[in-house]
Amino acid sequence: MDFSRKHVRSDCEALLRRFQKTQSVRFEVFSNIWKEMKFAQIFSGNPNNNKEFYHLILDIAYCYFLPPFSFQIRVGGLYLLYSTYHSHPASTSEQLQIRVALKDWEDVKNFEKDAMDAQHLDVVYILKRLMICKALQFTAMPTLLLYRTKRNKQKPMLCEQFIERASRPQELVNTQLLEEMSNIGELYKNMKTSIISQTTTQENAFVNLIRKEIVPQLCTTVLEFYNWQQGRDIIDEHKNSHERTSSQQEHSKRAELLASIKSKAYGEASEASKSRRHRQAERSFSNEEDGSFLKSRHSRLMKPSLRNRTNKQIHMTGDLGKEAIRATLISQLVTMDPALEEKTKNQRRFKF
Amino acid sequence: MAAPERPEAASSSSIPDYECVNVNSKAFHIGSFRDEWLKRLQPEDFSFQQLDQDAFDAKFAAEMGVGEETMAELRAVCSVDSLRCHPEDQEPDREVLPPSPTLKTLIHRKKLTEKKSQKSFRNRHELYAGELDRQTVGMVPETKADMLPEGEVIVTVNIYFPTNLGKFNGVRPRMTLLLTGSHTLADLRDAICCVSDLQVCGEFSSTPDMVPDFISKDLFRSAFFFFEGVFYNDMRYPECQDISSTTIEWAKSHNYPSFSQGKMEDTRFLDLTVKLGFPYLYCHQGDCEHPVIITDVRLVHKSDCLDKRLYPLLTHKNRSLSQKCAVCHVFIGRWYTTQDQFAPSDPCLFCDKCFRMLHYDKDGKKLGEFLAYPYVDRGAFN
Repeated sequence: MDFSRKHVRSDCEALLRRFQKTQSVRFEVFSNIWKEMKFAQIFSGNPNNNKEFYHLILDIAYCYFLPPFSFQIRVGGLYLLYSTYHSHPASTSEQLQIRVALKDWEDVKNFEKDAMDAQHLDVVYILKRLMICKALQFTAMPTLLLYRTKRNKQKPMLCEQFIERASRPQELVNTQLLEEMSNIGELYKNMKTSIISQTTTQENAFVNLIRKEIVPQLCTTVLEFYNWQQGRDIIDEHKNSHERTSSQQEHSKRAELLASIKSKAYGEASEASKSRRHRQAERSFSNEEDGSFLKSRHSRLMKPSLRNRTNKQIHMTGDLGKEAIRATLISQLVTMDPALEEKTKNQRRFKF
Repeated sequence: MAAPERPEAASSSSIPDYECVNVNSKAFHIGSFRDEWLKRLQPEDFSFQQLDQDAFDAKFAAEMGVGEETMAELRAVCSVDSLRCHPEDQEPDREVLPPSPTLKTLIHRKKLTEKKSQKSFRNRHELYAGELDRQTVGMVPETKADMLPEGEVIVTVNIYFPTNLGKFNGVRPRMTLLLTGSHTLADLRDAICCVSDLQVCGEFSSTPDMVPDFISKDLFRSAFFFFEGVFYNDMRYPECQDISSTTIEWAKSHNYPSFSQGKMEDTRFLDLTVKLGFPYLYCHQGDCEHPVIITDVRLVHKSDCLDKRLYPLLTHKNRSLSQKCAVCHVFIGRWYTTQDQFAPSDPCLFCDKCFRMLHYDKDGKKLGEFLAYPYVDRGAFN
């Protein structure tokens, strides 16, 4: 149901936003929010399309589990996947899986490693639980691809607040690096002074392979950046409400609707009206599975036809059966009057 | 060193990635994709056996060095019961919307149902779709030999059928098949049911009772698949010709990049290099063309149908409308007449009974002038 995609997304974002506010990664906290929002009700009242809807939620939750979101949001995404997987009211035969693409496996493993290093036991436990329950399906791409070029003209906006703050400068220029650099700087200075003292010419004093004061400069620059980031976050929070403008306009809605109708060409089944299968339709042109050359490789099972399956599964004995058959319109049109039937039986049959 | 280490870059052709986001992926080799996954996973990750809960807890406790009490607490906190949103004994009715929804999805759904009011037609297609699943999902064969091996690859292929553009109602009729990596393209071809294969050529107005000798499927056996610049021809029978050679020669003469050829029966899915979600071509009967899209490639899972004999597995098929006889509107049309002086329209469709009643007399002599062809209804595979 593409129409509800944005609603589901906004519900998930609301859940994750609340989770983010708690500044915690504990599952208990998450499940409290889940219960508070009564999120499990999201499956109610949906008589058709349960499978599609379920896949939709899982797809949306899955993208929060991957970078570029921050660690806490990724934990939230994992919890969301786990909770959705277990609250789906499906029978065991219909267990639907979480799709994990090959390109994302690296990220999943790194995430697990980070969680283990930080001793977040519940995160690791839940991740391992999902693997053990065979909830994960290992696929090539995260979703089924149907060459839908017309849909999704607008890129889904990643929630800015969830994205991990860029921390590459801090990671790169850490204290270890600064120490090493200052050591090397010292060595170089000592070498230079020793060489200069040995030679008596003055020109060499102007040879400088390194910038002086590079280490303190680096340090101050990175600190400035970090402080600027912090400051920006605080400002962002203040003008939170003003930034949430809606991106949909009225005229684009209609265009979207038209585009979605047109592009259903490669989409899922719609309500194609079923033709009435008629008993009298000759089966001479029906295609029986010709498994003669398949038998050499795999023996193919012939599935019984729909009519046979129905007859097998629904037992209508005796009069009830005849009554049921008589009731359908088609049979009334086709069967002749008993009186007339008698007459034709006695007549000579034509020969073509 | 400060810079993070790069993991050894796996050959980029085996790790599929988007070419156009959410539209199609880049080309990748299915066999190497499978190997990449198997390299990264432990055998118990993709096996069909499920580890017992207690065994799992014990293993976890040992790995993480966690005490008994902490383990019990962990299990309690992370259990599924902690997610229950309703009191223990009141199981809510899933069909009914909850009374005062706070979630946007539910509010939207409520609005939709109010608009629709009582019109919830359960169409027969959906009823039967569920029934088809019940036949196959989770089927485990009796003998081990018929079971799919763990680590096998399942490929989902969509084949689309030609549709009448004048009455295009937004849905392209298609059939979805699941195949394993070790199936060949010839297996895929045999699983495709197209009514053009059943056509009978010839005009039969003077001999309506003569049973036609061949259907087109047996007469014109050539076919090809086109994936990523390679034409895979069907060469199993002596009558099969290489119908892709015309296209290849034309391309050469017009300075297009050259295409190559292969054999359908020798190419397994594991050997193919394809793009996911990208339309390719299946051509048979010389001019009957079907777009083919491979939508998904994944490792086999415990909940799939594990019986090898049921593959290629049909998971979805759109039903086409059957054309009825112009006279009685009851039976499906089997004769197609043109230049018919008795028919109300040209061309006209008749069922067998009405056809014979109208065009032939008691002794079977042909009355009047007309041309009659046997007609195969589009819904023959419903």
